[in-house]
Amino acid sequence: MPKGIDVSNVAKDFELESLKQGLRLDGRKLNEFRDVEINIGNSYGSVDVKLGKTRIAVRISAEIVAPFEDRPFEGLFMINTEISPMASAMFESGRQSDEEILISRLIEKAVRRSNALDLESLCIIAGEKCWSIRADIHYLDYDGNFADISCIGVLCALLHFKKPDITINEHQEIIVHPINERVPVPLSILHIPICVTFAFFNPNDVEENIKGDSNAELIVVDPTMGEELLAYGSLTLTMNKNRELVQISKAGGLSIDAMVIMDCSNLAYEIACRITDQIREAIKADDAKRAEKRLEIRL
Amino acid sequence: MSAIETAVSGNPKKRLSSGLTVTQKVFVRSRNGGATKVVREHYLRNDIPCLSKSCKRCPNIVKANAQGEFPNFVLETDPLFLKNGKIGKHYLILDTNIILSAIDLIESNLSFYDVIIPQTALEEVRNKSFPIYLRVRALCKNEEKRFIVFHNEFKEETFLNRNKDESINDYNDRLIREVAKFYAKHLSDVGINVVLLTNDRNNLSKALNENIITKTLSDYVELLPNADELRDLVPSEFSNDFSRPNEVSYPEYFSTSRINGGIKNGTLYQGSITISSYNFLEGSVSVPSLPKPLLVIGRENLNRAFNGDLCVVELLPRDKWRKPSSTIVDDEVINKNDVADNEDNEIIISDQERRLLTQEAIEAQNSKEIQPTGRVVGIIKRSWRLYVGQIAPNSINQSHTGNAPKSCFVILMDRTLPKIRIRTRRAKELQGKRIVIGVDSWPSTSKYPEGHFVRTLGEIESAEAETEALLLEHDVEYSPFSKNVLDCLPKEGHDWKVPVDLQADEFIKKRKDLRDKLVCSIDPPGCVDIDDALHAVKLPNGNYEVGVHIADVTNFVKSGTALDHEGANRGTSVYLVDKRIDMLPMLLGTDLCSLKPYVDRFAFSVLWELDENADIVNVNFTKSIIKSREAFSYEQAQLRIDNPSQKDDLTEGMRVLLKLSKILKQKRLDAGALNLASPEVKVYMDSETADPGEVEIKKLLDTNSLVEEFMLLANISVARKIYDAFPQTAMLRRHAPPPATNFETLNNMLTIRKKMYVSLESSKALADSLDRCVDPEDPYFNTLLRIMVTRCMMAAEYFSSGSYSYPEFRHYGLAVDIYTHFTSPIRRYCDVVAHRQLAAAIGYETLDPSHRDKNKMELIVRNINKRHRNAQFAGRASIEYYVGQVMRNNESKQEGYIIKIFSNGIVVLVPKFGVESLIKLDQLSNDANTSEFDENNYSLKFKDTNGKMRTVHIFDKCEVEVKSKLDEATGKRRAQLILV
Amino acid sequence: MEVYSPEGLRADGRRWNEVRNFKCHINTHQNSSDGSSYVEMGNTKVVCLVSGPMESPSSGRKPNSSSNLTVSISMPSFVSNSRKKFKKNDKRIQELCIFLVKTFEQIVIMKNYPRTIISISIVVLSQDGGLLPSCVNAITLALIDAGISMYDYVSSINVGLYDTTPLLDLNHLEENDLSFLTLGVVGKSEKISLLLLEDKLSLDNLEKLLAIGIVGCHRIRDIMDQEIRRHGNLRLSKITNK
Repeated sequence: MPKGIDVSNVAKDFELESLKQGLRLDGRKLNEFRDVEINIGNSYGSVDVKLGKTRIAVRISAEIVAPFEDRPFEGLFMINTEISPMASAMFESGRQSDEEILISRLIEKAVRRSNALDLESLCIIAGEKCWSIRADIHYLDYDGNFADISCIGVLCALLHFKKPDITINEHQEIIVHPINERVPVPLSILHIPICVTFAFFNPNDVEENIKGDSNAELIVVDPTMGEELLAYGSLTLTMNKNRELVQISKAGGLSIDAMVIMDCSNLAYEIACRITDQIREAIKADDAKRAEKRLEIRL
Repeated sequence: MSAIETAVSGNPKKRLSSGLTVTQKVFVRSRNGGATKVVREHYLRNDIPCLSKSCKRCPNIVKANAQGEFPNFVLETDPLFLKNGKIGKHYLILDTNIILSAIDLIESNLSFYDVIIPQTALEEVRNKSFPIYLRVRALCKNEEKRFIVFHNEFKEETFLNRNKDESINDYNDRLIREVAKFYAKHLSDVGINVVLLTNDRNNLSKALNENIITKTLSDYVELLPNADELRDLVPSEFSNDFSRPNEVSYPEYFSTSRINGGIKNGTLYQGSITISSYNFLEGSVSVPSLPKPLLVIGRENLNRAFNGDLCVVELLPRDKWRKPSSTIVDDEVINKNDVADNEDNEIIISDQERRLLTQEAIEAQNSKEIQPTGRVVGIIKRSWRLYVGQIAPNSINQSHTGNAPKSCFVILMDRTLPKIRIRTRRAKELQGKRIVIGVDSWPSTSKYPEGHFVRTLGEIESAEAETEALLLEHDVEYSPFSKNVLDCLPKEGHDWKVPVDLQADEFIKKRKDLRDKLVCSIDPPGCVDIDDALHAVKLPNGNYEVGVHIADVTNFVKSGTALDHEGANRGTSVYLVDKRIDMLPMLLGTDLCSLKPYVDRFAFSVLWELDENADIVNVNFTKSIIKSREAFSYEQAQLRIDNPSQKDDLTEGMRVLLKLSKILKQKRLDAGALNLASPEVKVYMDSETADPGEVEIKKLLDTNSLVEEFMLLANISVARKIYDAFPQTAMLRRHAPPPATNFETLNNMLTIRKKMYVSLESSKALADSLDRCVDPEDPYFNTLLRIMVTRCMMAAEYFSSGSYSYPEFRHYGLAVDIYTHFTSPIRRYCDVVAHRQLAAAIGYETLDPSHRDKNKMELIVRNINKRHRNAQFAGRASIEYYVGQVMRNNESKQEGYIIKIFSNGIVVLVPKFGVESLIKLDQLSNDANTSEFDENNYSLKFKDTNGKMRTVHIFDKCEVEVKSKLDEATGKRRAQLILV
Repeated sequence: MEVYSPEGLRADGRRWNEVRNFKCHINTHQNSSDGSSYVEMGNTKVVCLVSGPMESPSSGRKPNSSSNLTVSISMPSFVSNSRKKFKKNDKRIQELCIFLVKTFEQIVIMKNYPRTIISISIVVLSQDGGLLPSCVNAITLALIDAGISMYDYVSSINVGLYDTTPLLDLNHLEENDLSFLTLGVVGKSEKISLLLLEDKLSLDNLEKLLAIGIVGCHRIRDIMDQEIRRHGNLRLSKITNK
């Protein structure tokens, strides 16, 4: 629940009241995820993703650097998330707010720590040279749920990105072949983690939540900014199509019964499967488009 | 994990409310020179059962696991009773060294039941050899063997604190003795004794002092009723000393200045090393100044050299000179128990290596054919590249679930290379997959080179993974053509046509319009890249006009373009069973350049006037435009020629060609051209399922040789022409005569076994003597011999004419004085260069400077030689893979021939499948000790699996059962032959 | 070492459902704080100090974090084996703090403490796995010691999964090798306030781990409750003895 923008009591009551009746302000059902729109750019690894009104752009870049001393067999992968006031007035430039730290850690865990990008395949000469892949996420517009959209954006961009081919000659020197000279190589993506965020609302008072047995908490998937401002806590589940949970993060907030969490994770799995297919299709469509273009010109 | 030493002892214990007692284990861990103190909690408990069925107390203390299962009590109430040595009914307790050295014996069904493995010993085994640990764990699951692990260090009663200044080995021994004491006391009331087995003298005496029944392994075995059966299985007592610290370290390489100096003054030799494919511990370095290659034998002398490395060797003293080994040594057998994780303990089976070496040394001294040996003292250039292999299944921990990186071994497809140690988080996922790895370094302190994971290719034995693997292994460039290359193609694409206006520019004006000639092409069925077409007509003067028309590739591939560089780099197209890797983009190869029928195409023509004897009256080269009338397959052409009712001009032309080709062939054979053989087969793919269907030995028709003869003739004519025009840089091909030494063994074998020989004075003499070597009882013998002779030959090679003097241009196999490749420019880069040189020689265009520069030609030649060789190997490997797949579905008995004999195995060739495979002695015989290897007679005598003595000789025909077997270690499917 | 042997024993000798030696004290630093506690979970040892409720130090400026609860964690370099220095702005520690703040914001009855600040600081003395659970438990105890009104205890523990066996209360070695879940449970309920998973875990195993984890949390809660009552009785007896 990002602070900084105050919501009037009337608006608050109205929204809570409608949620109690199973209605959301944008007309969705409580368990409905917004439509994802993926636009793939011209250069490799540039992707623009929209989730309702929330919008981000992701760019992937690669360079050759020295690996970390304690991990000579692995390449580097950095995800840069800087949320500027461009996205929304509630973000300050410069200093990171708690929310930003949580979002960046979440993406870090969902994508990097879960080995979605195979770091070992980025090694060129162990201990000396490796690829460093950098994902820059630009937040363009904010209407809630940065975590989920960031994850989709980064994965799309990684799947789309191609790094120049390299060879190592007999003197252990690295030759980088420009992409016009040799067909560039895609990154090795081991799985596609998808984040699904739930926001919690409490129709009763806090005591009821903690002591009571009613489990009457309202749970909303893919919250908008308005919903985030009102929610008491959120839960982000990340999983892939192989029924693997990649990370779970529920930082305090309303206490939720274990069984309810199980229900959430089952719903999240369905959503994750659907989005995975959508990403795959978007990439496939782009590949096909590119192949066709090439064919048109050359053959 | 590296050496762990407990430094602090006597930690206080604290009793917890849950009934457990907690204490602290304090280690000092040394790693990379630093020392870290590690403190770990250690909980002691009293619910660890003895697991003996006769125990009345322990069933009351056991606790269930997470699945609610209680432990099984497995130790028998009535274990083995031994009268001797006052042992009586007893259980066994094994110490670490016994498990490590005698695991095979322990696993046998003859003895060793009711065994207690102390946790202390198991932990030590695990650190020393993970594979042996896995075998012990498997024994514990085996209900018949009744093995248990007793967690003595967690049991309050049997846990001991480490004493001050006590070594870790002494401490562990004391812990194990405590187990024996516990069991002795615990089971005293049910009359079961425990026997501690240890080979450690020190431990033995201490145990005896503490009144523990203790035996050495051999003493114990002597007491057993079936001692006779077991005695041989007992490893010699002190053969494996595990307490020694890390022993594996290779000699450091010499400094660069010392190497340079040594090479200059002739004390060191430089050359590229070849590791024997039958013995990974033997390599040879060809040194120009020595008559025979220098042998490098043994791990230490090889000193980290990879097959193909350019290394510097130092000669060893004469008393160490030896003959090449006649033993097969396989890395997987010798080092299968090594632990990937552990640097300290890699000496486990090295004794076996040592034994093999000494055995050989003795043999060598008895023999006169010794060869100088050397050792590697420096490596100038590594041949390292990306390698394909698979993770050794026994080097990874199956139950491991975390994602911390773990070390494991990768066994490469190329058996001449050592295993590579890599660290990966994904070992478990990567198991059973073909993976690509890169090699990074080989420090002198590490037995194995270090590498890193690059990517996976897919499941082992899936066609895609195997195809990609073999392309990578043979360094074949198979990525799609890049944008820059494709940009060089004509803009019109498939719509490109020969211009209508033949006066359009100065080049097209120089082309001869040959569209009126009745040209046709003859190729294998289904051929799409048609390089060549022919025509022939009788001239009014009684002579014949014969034309060979070659696809005019250089019209599209201009020198200096990206397309040209790509072609030069690829060097050749590669033909696999199910796939073709093109040298040039499809558009050119299969369309614009391909001499397809019924359309106009640019060509480069060689036109001869030949007389009735097929002698050349004159020859003419010209760029041309042709229109092929028909594209025949060999079979179609043959049918058409043989059909007397076909009387059209095209068929008549082909008949002329056939007639002339026969004369040409005879002339060539008379000149001494060799007719050699290779065991090549063709695999037919089932067109629907794309599964390999059947294997067939390639057969030849007259029309095959029709085309061949004219191509040879064209190549020879062109070679003369370009040599004439560019005496220093003409692109030519030569085939050196084989050195007599190559034939020594073969001739020796022939003389002894068959009373025959092949003569080597000239190719003519060789050809004639080959014709004479016929075994009337075995028609295949001659072919077999030809296959073996082929293997003694030198490889033909490309060269630029400035590199050799004219007499050395000779092509030995074809028996011509000069030769080049001109006729397949779509799939060979040599031909592209020859085309350009010929075009320049006839004044069609100027020659690109790179084909006139000796150094640049040298680079081209070196590359295409390499690519050509790799392409051949890749093609063969592909056939081998598919033959394996075919054999998988039809196991059968086949005729085979013994083509090599070693002291511990034979190599058999099966002509039907074109495969050869090693049969090791232990597969031939149950009792390897009875075998006798007669080196002088090339025979091996052994007791076969039925117990009968059997002798096999080289060249023997034998019946073998052909199976295909997946090699667990390399994941390669190989033919497995069993002698019937 | 075997992480979990076929005989059902873990590398340190515990069985699957046994928690480590759990030791706790409250009121350990009477002079330096309003409430304090010391928690040991095996070899993970933390001290927690609570100051407040007190006046916001910079009343004019609104504190950056909108909350009235602050948590800071200090990790001296002797905490881990490698003697690595922890940076003040280490993102992982920052994240940990945010997690703790968000958890206790709901548990402390914040409406009782408007316009005041409760500042919690934790010093980690030794790290052997289960850092977050130790912090949660220590804060719960220290808040109680400080007399701050809360709805209930929050107790926390982690659960890992080895093949199909859940393992309770992992130490550092096990944390490195296994995927694990950290849970924070409110009182004796089955309601989860804090849930954290950082490594891959099959969805089908989640329920099993949650169930074991809740049981583990309850066990921890009971031990803490005993300690609070023991300490309360001690104080009471001191007063009555006077």
